[in-house]
Amino acid sequence: MAMTPSDVWVMAEAARISLALALAAIAFGTLLALLLTPLAFAPFALARFGYWLYVFLVRGTPVLLLALLLFYALAAVWGRISPYAAGVVVLTIYLAALFAEVFRGGVLAIPRPLWDCCKSLGLSRRSIFWRVTTPLVARYALPPYLNVCVMAVKASSVLSIISVWELTLAAREIIERTLDVYRVLAVAAIFYFIMCFAIDRLGRRLESRLAAKGFAGERL
Amino acid sequence: MGQYRAWLDAYAQAYLAAAGWTLAIAVLAFLSSLLWGALLFFLRLSAGVWAERLVDVYVQLLRNTPVLLPIYLIYFGFPLIGLLWPAAICGGMALVLQNGAYICEIFRGAYKAIDRVQHDAAKSLGLMPWMAFRKVTLPQLLVHSIPALGNQAVLLLKDTSLLSAITVVELTMQAKVLTERTGAAYAPFLLAAAFYLSLVALIEFGTRLAHRSVQWR
Repeated sequence: MAMTPSDVWVMAEAARISLALALAAIAFGTLLALLLTPLAFAPFALARFGYWLYVFLVRGTPVLLLALLLFYALAAVWGRISPYAAGVVVLTIYLAALFAEVFRGGVLAIPRPLWDCCKSLGLSRRSIFWRVTTPLVARYALPPYLNVCVMAVKASSVLSIISVWELTLAAREIIERTLDVYRVLAVAAIFYFIMCFAIDRLGRRLESRLAAKGFAGERL
Repeated sequence: MGQYRAWLDAYAQAYLAAAGWTLAIAVLAFLSSLLWGALLFFLRLSAGVWAERLVDVYVQLLRNTPVLLPIYLIYFGFPLIGLLWPAAICGGMALVLQNGAYICEIFRGAYKAIDRVQHDAAKSLGLMPWMAFRKVTLPQLLVHSIPALGNQAVLLLKDTSLLSAITVVELTMQAKVLTERTGAAYAPFLLAAAFYLSLVALIEFGTRLAHRSVQWR
């Protein structure tokens, strides 16, 4: 039995859900990462250790395991919970660690002499943060940030295993119904490719708009 | 504490077997991915424009789609062409397909990081192309790619957990089964996470050690 055009529409709808999950997790993950990154530069060893521990724990565990852990643990505490909510929470926790590392890398990429320049100009800490650190980190961190965004779309497919109905689960359902393996997976691959590619293109455009004159993204 | 003790006594063996599967799949898949990635890289490097384009399309396609797709492609697709292979092998092959694409990219990046002057110097020393590759390009290529390869090994290890979607009883699947069987909310998952984390720490440590030991003085 072959897949029908209506199956393609079902998959388009599922792709929309995948994208929504990924975008929500990217938004929340970025916010959480913006809270985490300062910890890496905090003057207290405990804060730095906390940052390191969070990144190590989250990056060293498969997303699927995180998802199962959260899904079952929360279900034990609260009874049934929405797999969608659990999915967004898991992706947020996961992406926050990756984004935080991206931002940390952006701060570290700022050449050392620049800090001395700021100080010798007598800039206040606040204006250093807003007029020097933030714009430079945004530029240094954008390419790896986009990579992580692409990873977010791909990671959302893992949620299919905790019964979140998105593109991968839809594809699996249609495969099990029609056995039209190759075509269904080709359609799914096209949808994923378009989403990942679109994020990539969008980012490149943003990158060229952010790039100031003479800023080549390289260390001084 | 007592309940954990009893629980461990009852299920330790199942756990160890599952951990063994995870480890075996990860190691075999990583070695095969290295070979597949190297093959793709050589095709791209030296088999003409069309090979280069073909490899690029392959790499872009696999990098921009989730690894569950190739897993399902092989697991559901092979029986249709009459190949009834065990799920672990199907899943492992899918991991190799995707990680090979990443490793090809890693080699490409490392190759680009080698100074062009090196190639000219090798030529001016009168080295034949193959000798120049073996003595000048290859060692630098490998050294440059060690950190990224370590990173990729970590990603691959974590991706073996996805084989639970196609009935492979590896660590994540075993943890899930035990959770459902024993009604424990999270202990089995924490134990599995501890296993993954210690392996990841080991890989990262080994990578750093390897990179430091081959660094030029």
